[in-house]
Amino acid sequence: MSAIVRPRPPHQFRLRPAYFLLIPLSLVALVPFIWMVLGSFKSGREIRKIPPTFFPQEFTLENYKRVLNDEDLPLGIFYRNSAIIALANVVQVLFTSSLFGYIFAKFEFKGKKALFWFILSLMMIPHQMTMIPGYLILAKLGLINNLLGLIIPAAIDAFGIFLFRQFALSIPNELIDAARVDGAGEFYIFRRIVLPQLGPALATFGMLTFMFNWNAYLWPLIVLTEKNVRTLPIILTWYSSRMVSNDHLTMAASVLVILPVLFIFLLVQRWIVEGIALSGLKG
Amino acid sequence: MQRFFRGRDSAKKQFIAGSITPLVLYMAFWTLLPLVWGVALAFFDYSPRRAGGFLGFGADNPFVSLQHFQTMLNFAPDAPLEAQQFHIGIKITLLFVALIVPLNLMITLPLALLIESVHDRVKGVFRIIFFLPVLAPSVGVAIMWGFIFNPQWGLLNAVIGKFTGRLVGINWTGDPNLVVWGIPVALFGIVIAYLWQDMGYNLVIFIAALQGIPQAVKDAAKIDGANWGQMLTKIIIPLLMPTILLTAVLTMISAFQVFDIVQVMTEGGPDDQTQVLLLNIYNYAFRYQKMGWAAAVSIVMFLMILSISIVQTRLLRTEWEY
Repeated sequence: MSAIVRPRPPHQFRLRPAYFLLIPLSLVALVPFIWMVLGSFKSGREIRKIPPTFFPQEFTLENYKRVLNDEDLPLGIFYRNSAIIALANVVQVLFTSSLFGYIFAKFEFKGKKALFWFILSLMMIPHQMTMIPGYLILAKLGLINNLLGLIIPAAIDAFGIFLFRQFALSIPNELIDAARVDGAGEFYIFRRIVLPQLGPALATFGMLTFMFNWNAYLWPLIVLTEKNVRTLPIILTWYSSRMVSNDHLTMAASVLVILPVLFIFLLVQRWIVEGIALSGLKG
Repeated sequence: MQRFFRGRDSAKKQFIAGSITPLVLYMAFWTLLPLVWGVALAFFDYSPRRAGGFLGFGADNPFVSLQHFQTMLNFAPDAPLEAQQFHIGIKITLLFVALIVPLNLMITLPLALLIESVHDRVKGVFRIIFFLPVLAPSVGVAIMWGFIFNPQWGLLNAVIGKFTGRLVGINWTGDPNLVVWGIPVALFGIVIAYLWQDMGYNLVIFIAALQGIPQAVKDAAKIDGANWGQMLTKIIIPLLMPTILLTAVLTMISAFQVFDIVQVMTEGGPDDQTQVLLLNIYNYAFRYQKMGWAAAVSIVMFLMILSISIVQTRLLRTEWEY
């Protein structure tokens, strides 16, 4: 049996030197991560050494202890803030995008074309166009320094509606009509027949939405100015500017803020990559 | 039967009205209103600190007509500070975009070809490595590169010191006198950090496009005796052209809106040398509270991005066939 040679997959342009280029390049690409992680294990004395060391000479966990016990930096609260905003936005954006995508794909009503064109044209308007009035509206509503200020205005994603319309178009009408003949209500059809058909799109777009919200900086920076309502990216810059000559502490804090969720994103990167390749979407 | 369908129709109508009405109301309040408000602000000398009439317009926030836009066109040496900073912002942003787009494509396209050429099993590993920075928050990216560019104990100076045998203390992102080919070195620092994070997007788009080239086309070229170079220039690049154009435009649009990395790494400094347009808008709106002026600059920025978007839709409308 072992004599059977498996046919090699056909390689159209095999480039042997590829590895000699790719391996050093990947190491270079990883350097910023490696430098930060190594630095987070160096002592304050060692981090200020000139010239600096690459590997920590005396490996220490002291930085992590200090960051985690820093009463000015309750990381749990900031993780919670980021999670609330990101999860709430994923849920509402997936709901509105799939519902309205389905409606625009499968229903006829007055003004449908105009409304859809309006939504499409919103995709071309950069966020900073509405940033200043958006802030003023939130201020009038008393939603500055409130997590709701990052959730309520984010319920509709023009691109999401567009994307889900494309997917919903391919759902066979027979499937929906059959459910209607059986006496199913319209919302029931959406929930039980249409949503399962949109499963992969929900996963892909949900991951992307979560990632963009989790990593967002400019809008939270404007809306959340009090410390305890801030999200992780904002608190990280606040901490690093306060610890300006204590890079070892900033490094430990950065590791704690960046790496855990980066690891989770890494586990689901297949969907994120698919979403980007599918849509050419940019952050 | 007819009665049944009429019943269905009213259920449908109810469903549509029940969904579309909230959508329209929501969009009127959260998209249309801010858009109109934003345009209106650009014609007022508006600051949220001052009292005004309806929505803060009028009274101490007077209507100034096109004055903001006239100020933008004031190129005299004694022009107001905001006009000078606006000119810097336009210049730096265009420079940034002009550096990012070609560099990005020059890195990501060959890298995608390299990754596509290795064995299937390790392909994924390389893709993940180069894609990893996309998943990180851009704030984290700026901080990580800050550790590398640090003048005293940064990695870059240490590596240069190792090769030259001297102590190097170059302040890469903070010395206004460091200028190469008329471009501030601090801007190069931002370009590097930005490219490092941004290239993963184009990389996966190119990899997907390369995998989309039909095997039959490549086989046919091979049978005709095409070598590797001919394969690349006659088959692969032409077939990728629509993707290359699309990624160029998308990269351009997002580079125009660079903010996070600049704000964290240099805060626009040294001496406004990296004061990109969006940072300029942010500073004027939320730090100096000159929201009328900032809204006017936003409109200019929007028009610049819109003109690229229009080119983009033109490109996408073109039919491309293999």
